[in-house]
Amino acid sequence: MNKDTSEASARTIFVVAVVAAVLVSAILAPVAYDAAQSAQSEGTVSVITVSGIITGSTVDGVSEDLREARTNESIRAVVLKVDSGGGLVAPSERLYLEVLRTSEQMPVVASVQGIGASGAYYGMLPADEIYVLSSSEVGSVGVIGPGGSTPVPDSIIRTGPDKAQPTAEDRRRAIESLKRQFVGRVVEHRGEELSVSREEVAYAKTYLGPEAASNGYADGVGALPTAIDRAAEMAGIENYDVARQEPPFRGGFFLLTAENNNKTMVYKQGPGIDTPVPVTQPLLVDEIPDHDPELSTDDSEVTRNASA
Amino acid sequence: MPARDFVAPVVAFVVLVAVIVGGAAAVPFVSGGESTDVTNLADRQTDIDAVTVSEAEAEGTITMDSDAESKTVLIDQAHANQVSDKKLSTLTNTLVENGHEVEYVTQEQARGPAWNESLRSADAFLIANPNQPYTSGQLAGVQAFADAGGRVVMLSDPASIQRFGIFGFGLQQQSNDDPALNSEFGISAQSGYLFNMNDYQQTFKSVYAAPGDGPLSAGVDRVVVRDAAAVSVADGQTALRAGEQTRLSTTRRADTYGVAVQSGNVSMVGDTDFLTPETAYVADNNVFIGNLADFLVSGEKTENAPAPPSEGSSGPGGPSEPTRPTPEPVV
Repeated sequence: MNKDTSEASARTIFVVAVVAAVLVSAILAPVAYDAAQSAQSEGTVSVITVSGIITGSTVDGVSEDLREARTNESIRAVVLKVDSGGGLVAPSERLYLEVLRTSEQMPVVASVQGIGASGAYYGMLPADEIYVLSSSEVGSVGVIGPGGSTPVPDSIIRTGPDKAQPTAEDRRRAIESLKRQFVGRVVEHRGEELSVSREEVAYAKTYLGPEAASNGYADGVGALPTAIDRAAEMAGIENYDVARQEPPFRGGFFLLTAENNNKTMVYKQGPGIDTPVPVTQPLLVDEIPDHDPELSTDDSEVTRNASA
Repeated sequence: MPARDFVAPVVAFVVLVAVIVGGAAAVPFVSGGESTDVTNLADRQTDIDAVTVSEAEAEGTITMDSDAESKTVLIDQAHANQVSDKKLSTLTNTLVENGHEVEYVTQEQARGPAWNESLRSADAFLIANPNQPYTSGQLAGVQAFADAGGRVVMLSDPASIQRFGIFGFGLQQQSNDDPALNSEFGISAQSGYLFNMNDYQQTFKSVYAAPGDGPLSAGVDRVVVRDAAAVSVADGQTALRAGEQTRLSTTRRADTYGVAVQSGNVSMVGDTDFLTPETAYVADNNVFIGNLADFLVSGEKTENAPAPPSEGSSGPGGPSEPTRPTPEPVV
């Protein structure tokens, strides 16, 4: 009797030990697999996403990821996964400079998903190579912005005639200057590949993937895995890890246009902005959809929005 | 448990913490920290001279050479004309300062017989960006006005031409049998705006126009038009021609497009922005505006034209189609 009980207990303990071993192994096996794979890995390719309208906060996140790539010794190359039609001018230039700083340290390859135009194209210019899909759109090398001079009501006290009221000429000069900067940098970075002239670049046309690959706006047609593999190859690593950096959701804002007092106005609306607000600064965007924000056509309403 | 039993662990704890934290603090002094030289890429990548867009020089005055006696210039405001007083002020002020009179024709004064009555009292007629069609009677009145020596100046932006054509008739319609004045005077306009990607003032739509023929181009070296339509004349003079490599937005073809034309007593300029106070003194725009003012007051219109109707007559151009629903004869 005692002998039978003892044998049963031994079997139970044995089974429990086997089950425990399987469970522990199931937990540790992936860790061991990853460790073994990492041991073979020669480095990491960081895939950094650039999507939506390019704003200051968008670029803050991307800059952080790029800085991490530059300072983390295990990261050997960067792939920009781009799907953006552009955005604000200054953030787009910041993106350009951050990508440039990174590309001077390691290979950077851009992979355009749906669209990589205007400010987004500006940002990826320093990439060593740009890959597009057949359905991708790139280009739109130009600037758009308000042209008129919004009257400042007499109730506002200013210290000079140009305070908060740029003239139409001021705006023209600013937009032309920004355009020259943009076109100049396109020619600088893509000049050897481009088969179109500086003048044609300045037309600000958006090209579909195959044409972009043909005229030098892009280097080839290829999906994200191709870009990752190419970045690793340029970094001289065969076995590599891929680290994907997705931006946190911040809820972008929308740009739209409306006819107001026979003038086409550009408005933005987004988190924290209850009503559409006129955009007073130049933009690097590929397209602003027509939209009727149901704004009052009354001058005072426009003024109120402009000062909001 | 005696207190001395805790001494060894506490000492070990303190020593370990001191070594680890102190070591961490000492590492930057040994390795030199994480600071690296930062290249000023923004400065390196910016060619300041290349991206600087200079201010447009605006100087000179608008003067008139004509010594004509005081003339009356009538300005059309009866056809929802989309041009501001501010824009016209450079021209109207010049006329008034030189002793001429400027009057406006309102919708009330454009109805029926009042239209030709208004024209009879004027020596010149200025039409800018009309947004309502002219009736055949009104067009006949202007035709008779010009035939009698009255000067007519038409100013039209591309948007106005695109939507309403010349004299409020769509471009497509004008090729048919509509009694538009442009066909009478041989003046035509193309839809779309002019641009130049090589030689422009500040933006690609601000193109330079060089002098052509006729009094409107006298003393002009070049004029800046901000948003211009291409105009041409079959039998007349092209006063201003857009510079080389200027293209038309609709066709993208480069050509020597006319910007201002003259056919007898009628002239047309495919732009109104050259008149704005901000642009009126850029390049030789002031000279051109002065020439336009001279043109307006240099006509010798026959007295009492367009002639009032004789009994049983409906006046020049025949019966009219009034702008208002109620039919009224034009005299």
